[in-house]
Amino acid sequence: MTGHAQQAGQFLKNRERAAWHDETLWIVRQKRDKMARAVPEWEDLREQASQIKQHTLSELDNYLVQFEKQAQKNGAQVHWAGDAARFNEVVSGIIKENNATKVVKSKSMLTEECGLNPFLEKKGIGVTDTDLGERIIQFREEPPSHIVMPAIHLKKEEIGELFHEKLHTEKGNFDPTYLTAAARVHLRQKFLEAEVAITGVNFAVAETGTVVVCTNEGNADMGVHAAPVQIHCVGIEKMIPRMTELGVFIRLLARSATGQPITTYTSHYQRPKPGGQMHIVIVDNGRSEHLGREDYRNALKCIRCGACMNTCPVYRRSGGHSYGSVIPGPIGSILAPHSHIKNYNDLPFASSLCGSCSDVCPVKIDIHDQLYRWRQDLSEKKRISPTKRHTMKIAGKILAGSKMYDFSGKMARWGIKNLPRKLVYNRLNVWGKERELPEVPKESFKQWYKRTQQGKGGKNGQG
Amino acid sequence: MDRDKILQTIRENKAKTAPLPKPFGSPTEKQDSGLINRFKEMLQQVGGGCFEVNGAEELHAFVGEHFPGATDFRKEETWKEFPPDCPKEKLAQLKTVMLEGQFGVAENAAIWLDETRFPNRLIPFIAEELIVCLYSKQIVQDMHEAYSKSGKNTTGFGVFISGPSKTADIEQNLVFGAHGAKKYSVIFY
Repeated sequence: MTGHAQQAGQFLKNRERAAWHDETLWIVRQKRDKMARAVPEWEDLREQASQIKQHTLSELDNYLVQFEKQAQKNGAQVHWAGDAARFNEVVSGIIKENNATKVVKSKSMLTEECGLNPFLEKKGIGVTDTDLGERIIQFREEPPSHIVMPAIHLKKEEIGELFHEKLHTEKGNFDPTYLTAAARVHLRQKFLEAEVAITGVNFAVAETGTVVVCTNEGNADMGVHAAPVQIHCVGIEKMIPRMTELGVFIRLLARSATGQPITTYTSHYQRPKPGGQMHIVIVDNGRSEHLGREDYRNALKCIRCGACMNTCPVYRRSGGHSYGSVIPGPIGSILAPHSHIKNYNDLPFASSLCGSCSDVCPVKIDIHDQLYRWRQDLSEKKRISPTKRHTMKIAGKILAGSKMYDFSGKMARWGIKNLPRKLVYNRLNVWGKERELPEVPKESFKQWYKRTQQGKGGKNGQG
Repeated sequence: MDRDKILQTIRENKAKTAPLPKPFGSPTEKQDSGLINRFKEMLQQVGGGCFEVNGAEELHAFVGEHFPGATDFRKEETWKEFPPDCPKEKLAQLKTVMLEGQFGVAENAAIWLDETRFPNRLIPFIAEELIVCLYSKQIVQDMHEAYSKSGKNTTGFGVFISGPSKTADIEQNLVFGAHGAKKYSVIFY
């Protein structure tokens, strides 16, 4: 048993919640389908997006330089950070220079990846996450379980209880409208007090030096426009060439993510506000290294819509926390082992390889193929658990020889039928955990074929 | 130094140049008459209200009658009352704000507003209610056309707004008014 499987087991203990999680994310997937079908040119758009990303990644150095030049011309200050530690230093440096202690932040998986919040908190700088879902999990001191719906693992009763404790809402009032209104009042105060606002970035346009942020709540804008200092944190892979290309991605993003035609706000930050400062921090943290991994390079095309999570039968039934990585789900299972192979070597196995993730990906990343490749790489590198390695080895031998295969089949059919249940469903039989083995047929397919088709001739019927 | 190292690693690792595909053309024939209906349908989907009047004069009368208390940034005197350096505490008192949209997008009911439309960037977000007036001929089909219009934007800030502020972060229940406008309408004229 491995990390993900164990965590998933924990998640599944609460059957009702697990079923709710599964169904709810499937509804989001269906909304996405409805939106995609309403756009006749959808498949062409995906192809276009994929090719634009392919191009941009192949010219990434040039686009970054162009972006920097243009952003500086617009009056923004551009910083570069090679890794997470450097990134945290840059951001805390800007905050310190401005003698600020009150910081608001809108959703950014990059700051999550770099551990910005704990870093700043250690330095005595309080960061308030302003996306409602993120605020909820920040109160609970938990990581997000989904990149678009960070609190999807929680029920309204828990949030009501949490808000009662933190925001003094009425005890026992779990009404989402009431709770959202309470958060609005609480966060409105934070916005007005904030001295620095931090945001993630959905797209950075090289041609114009513009950073684009998409939200439904309006929290990025409330923060950025209210605070004198704005900091936008952008991974190098977020570059796109021109405004012309932006249209393609804006059409795909919200439709793929939540099944909306567009997010409520699509904001284009180009110059600092009068009297304000605009900082853009360009972050690498392993991305330029990843660019050199030919087999996995495409993963850098990801626009973080979360569609692969919503559709994934494993994600839906195991919850985002079970992955233990910053980005969960199929795309996270590709990215995480690259950043830390030892901690995440089981994630490429947290997939049924059904391929649904690749089908819904708006930038056509070959997600399930990459997961399959990871499995092969991991086993070649002997990076998989000994149980899995030995089982695979035995299975390989059995499947390679027809005599061995026939014999094993016979043994298994006999065993499942006749051995005591305790012995069949033993500790090593992970498949049989929470699952019944199939009913044993009287004969194997081969035997049936021989019996029924023998002598019938036909193309393959020679017995 | 981080900059040079990042750029150097990219140069070493990037694939050979792939071409940039030709700009994505809007696939269907333009149907000017259908655009406003498409827009209205999407506006309803995203939770926005819709009014329609006949021309600028009627708009004036309509606004006077239905939104007499609105803070109307289409008027010069309102800009004087709320200058760019207006304290945010004062902006936080804004109830109903009226703005002039530059153009709308039929496929998603988004309306483009850049900072020539409001003296302070907080205004479209901090108001309790937002009303956008839109000339009914100013509607484009999709985001490709939209960016060929707004892409030349040289102002410091611009936004596409589609509907009221919303969240579904509590059990996927849709709630309007997360942080921005709780209520949102478009008046076509």
